[in-house]
Amino acid sequence: MNTATECLLRMVEEHHELEDYQGGVPRWCTGCGDNAILAAVQRLCRDENLRPEKTAFISGIGCSSRFPHYMRTYGFHGIHGRALPIAEGVKMSRPDLNVFVNTGDGDCCSIGAAHWIHALRYNMNMTMMLHDNQVYGLTKMQASPTSPKGTKTNTSPRGSYLDALNPLTVTLGVQNVSFVAQVVDWIPEVLYDVVKAAFHHKGFSFIRIVQRCPEWLPRMFEPVLHDTNRVLLLHHEQGLQLSDGLARTYRKQLEHDPADIHRAREIASGTDPIPVGILYRNPEVPCYEETRNAGQLQTAGHARTALETELDKYTVWPQQA
Amino acid sequence: MNAELQTQIAFHLAGRKPEAAAEGAAGADARPALLARYRDLSALRYDFPLLLLRNAGDRDYVRCLSGVIDEVVHGLAGGDGGERLTRHLLGLEREIRVLLAGGARGPLSALWDDAAGRLARGDESLQDSLRRGRRALKADGDLVDCDESLPTLLLKHAWGVVRERKTRKLGEDLRRLGISLANILQADAARSEAGRSPDSLKASIGAGHAEVFDFAAMSRLLAKASPKDGLPASRRRRIESLLSVLKAQRFVPVPGESQTQDRCYAFTFGSCAEALAAYRERLPKAIELARSIAVAELEVKGEYREAVHDPLFKEFAEGSLGQEELAYFPDYLVCMSADTLQGAETDRLMELLSAGLPVKILVQTDDLLEESTIARDGHFALGMRSKQLANMALGLNDVYVLQSSSSNLFQFRDRILAGMSYAGPALFSVYSGASDGSGSLPPYLLAAAAMESRAFPAYSYDPAAGPNWASRFHLEANSQLEADWPVQEFTYEDENHQRVRTTPAFTFVDFIACDPRHARHFARVPRAEWNDKMIPIEETLRRGAANAGDSVPFIMLVDGDNVLQRAIVDERLLRAAMRCRESWHSLQELGGIHNSHAERLLAREAQAREQKPQPTPEAPVQAPSAPEAVTEPEEKKTGDDPYIETPRCTTCNECTQINDRMFAYNENKQAYVADPDAGTYAQLVEAAESCQVSIIHPGKPRNPAEPGLAELLSRAEAFA
Repeated sequence: MNTATECLLRMVEEHHELEDYQGGVPRWCTGCGDNAILAAVQRLCRDENLRPEKTAFISGIGCSSRFPHYMRTYGFHGIHGRALPIAEGVKMSRPDLNVFVNTGDGDCCSIGAAHWIHALRYNMNMTMMLHDNQVYGLTKMQASPTSPKGTKTNTSPRGSYLDALNPLTVTLGVQNVSFVAQVVDWIPEVLYDVVKAAFHHKGFSFIRIVQRCPEWLPRMFEPVLHDTNRVLLLHHEQGLQLSDGLARTYRKQLEHDPADIHRAREIASGTDPIPVGILYRNPEVPCYEETRNAGQLQTAGHARTALETELDKYTVWPQQA
Repeated sequence: MNAELQTQIAFHLAGRKPEAAAEGAAGADARPALLARYRDLSALRYDFPLLLLRNAGDRDYVRCLSGVIDEVVHGLAGGDGGERLTRHLLGLEREIRVLLAGGARGPLSALWDDAAGRLARGDESLQDSLRRGRRALKADGDLVDCDESLPTLLLKHAWGVVRERKTRKLGEDLRRLGISLANILQADAARSEAGRSPDSLKASIGAGHAEVFDFAAMSRLLAKASPKDGLPASRRRRIESLLSVLKAQRFVPVPGESQTQDRCYAFTFGSCAEALAAYRERLPKAIELARSIAVAELEVKGEYREAVHDPLFKEFAEGSLGQEELAYFPDYLVCMSADTLQGAETDRLMELLSAGLPVKILVQTDDLLEESTIARDGHFALGMRSKQLANMALGLNDVYVLQSSSSNLFQFRDRILAGMSYAGPALFSVYSGASDGSGSLPPYLLAAAAMESRAFPAYSYDPAAGPNWASRFHLEANSQLEADWPVQEFTYEDENHQRVRTTPAFTFVDFIACDPRHARHFARVPRAEWNDKMIPIEETLRRGAANAGDSVPFIMLVDGDNVLQRAIVDERLLRAAMRCRESWHSLQELGGIHNSHAERLLAREAQAREQKPQPTPEAPVQAPSAPEAVTEPEEKKTGDDPYIETPRCTTCNECTQINDRMFAYNENKQAYVADPDAGTYAQLVEAAESCQVSIIHPGKPRNPAEPGLAELLSRAEAFA
């Protein structure tokens, strides 16, 4: 596009306030970590001046997946576990849209596990937020794959039997992974920084958001909330940069280069302290929608001609018998 | 002073020749000594002939024949018989050169086969080598030798490469825009009532399935679901007019549509007047096309707003066509000879260059040593028109200028391509060496001699390369940049059959010696009369005015029998050489060599450094003691007011649900105490207790009359 059109476009750009991105009033419980995620994402939209008609939030089923209703952008509240395939379809047909995926620990790691693995491999340019509250919340407290062993829920009254799945190590183990990060919902500054980094990353950005559920698991994170040494802040010049306030409050810090996947896997296996920051980032991985891009617009006429040419190779012409 | 010396000095000062040495510079076959070894160019491996690659990549559009043969040899010689293969292929290369010298022209493959046919008579191994070489030959294109058509052919080829790139890009964009706009109209048609009628629905389904559907029912269904309004009339009109402009444009052929190729405008011209006329004639169409492309880009994205954009585009006129927009269209190429540059044509040339129009102009000079029309004998015009042309263009500052002899064009191939790609006017001033009166020297040697002798130095000025002369001006192609004249080693055999090594310089006077039209300025001195008052020309030039009248300058020549001769030079040539040296000095200063400003600055600094007394080593400066205590950005409000550590708020709604007038969200949706008096202390404490991240600090109660304060205060202690 030449300079004239660019100037003209910039002339009519509108600036949106944070409230402009607010859709419905959230029905989440008071104290739910989803509110923090909503606030951070709305801040991102305002700071990046994302055009609402060019932004789409795709979700599956769960408390997390109420998200698209509360954003005044395009949204798709899909069926259980299928947020990712729908998001991939959106991205393939409209690569110009900003696509975000909101999914929960049940929606992604349980019923949607297969789509999760392959979405990582496709590495399409979108941002996926895993709202991990370690329980099935919307259906009123059942154990999820990420519930720690021994969690007492309606389906596991004597405590769950299996060790929790670690979404980070699973993600880091898939080919083509290009961005993996973990945040906790009670440090809003880091949450915002990581969401912003994920948005700017060109490729599939996976953020696991450790989230509180004050209704069903009110005491799960209490010890961690009040002891700042239970959180390990990962920082690096290629990763998260810590502000002074953060660095003073959270003393446990580790410098980790996001390019080092082996170290990332090691760090990701640790649950105490909880590692927070960007674990892995690789901007060089190609994006599927670009690899498959035909490069040229085709008309229906061209497609028809091409098909006819191909089929003609097998036609039998009875006149030349 | 003996008589011989006197006659020599007489010739030097006054040009009067003694009768004995009347035949001037040793006959027509004499050439400067340094050119002695280059009798038969076809036996040498040098930059020419050039191969103008047919499928030119972006960087690599021309190769030299030696390079191509080397590549073939390198690829093949891994196997056995490497030494023999190399020999055979080099022999073939020489045969091709001989063919070219004889006037053959054509593509490399044809010339190769021709040469191979001549060479390989009955020699099996030779035939085999040549066959293998031919198979390994990947590159093909036209072969050109260094003659008078070389500059035009090479620059046209380079321009063609850039034009191809632009044509492809512009053609792609036009095609994409055309399809997208047509899609908009088509989508609207499909949704319109006519598009939803049973007949058009039936037509859109293939013949095989026409019986399966009830089109009337389908039409009714679609009527309910479709949006009620179609394209607004103004938008439809705009799109249709855009489509017609895009289809009717004649600047580039659109890929996929073959008939547009012939209708396209031509962009090569033989004179500036033609180019200027063509530009003016096409300007309205260019403006219309640029404007249409801009509108189409907006339309295709659905971002065209009539209220804002309509008045803007109405004003879109020639002024809106900046250099970037013009660079989108193909450039104009003008190839002309310096002879045609008279009067009005020169004016038009400067007009084209200074107006910043996208023209690439090649001015080819065939003869550098014409005499000035204001005939003062010996006062050479020094190729006035073409050389001064390049210097004038340098002064325009945003014109790409390239000056070179044709011998150097291959080394300059990247710069030529850069000039063709430059988004603005470019001037290429080339000396071809192919003048008629130049005697027996081939154009390559004459051109190379012009460059070596500083008569026509090679330089390039690229305004896009940087902000200052240091980055833009490139003089390095000339040999021995720091010297006035380049110096080469020359070995000969003296009368005692001893080897003598000298290092003569190749001066402007040597260049003039190549041209038999100026033979009258030289007088050959027979060997018997050589004396030590004859000094080499570069020595004389160096002494300059300090020349006493008792020495004569000479240059060394070699005649047709390869015998060394000396010829003395008259004073007019000396003056011409000094003028040439002056203009070389100016170029050197521009290129930063012996730059007088830089030298003055250095001298001043050196002087200042000497005058300053040596600083005594000081005691290490005490660093000012670090300021005490890191200041806490979040000052603990020691006052009694309630406050919230807003940056750590997680927007969980706990406090706002308790009292949404006391607690409010800021523009980042994080909570702060909006009005501490809008609620009770009890609410503050309750909020502090329910806050998930414990960032609410209730402070001290503001209303001492509130009930239950003691218990509240004890609860509030945890949040102090």
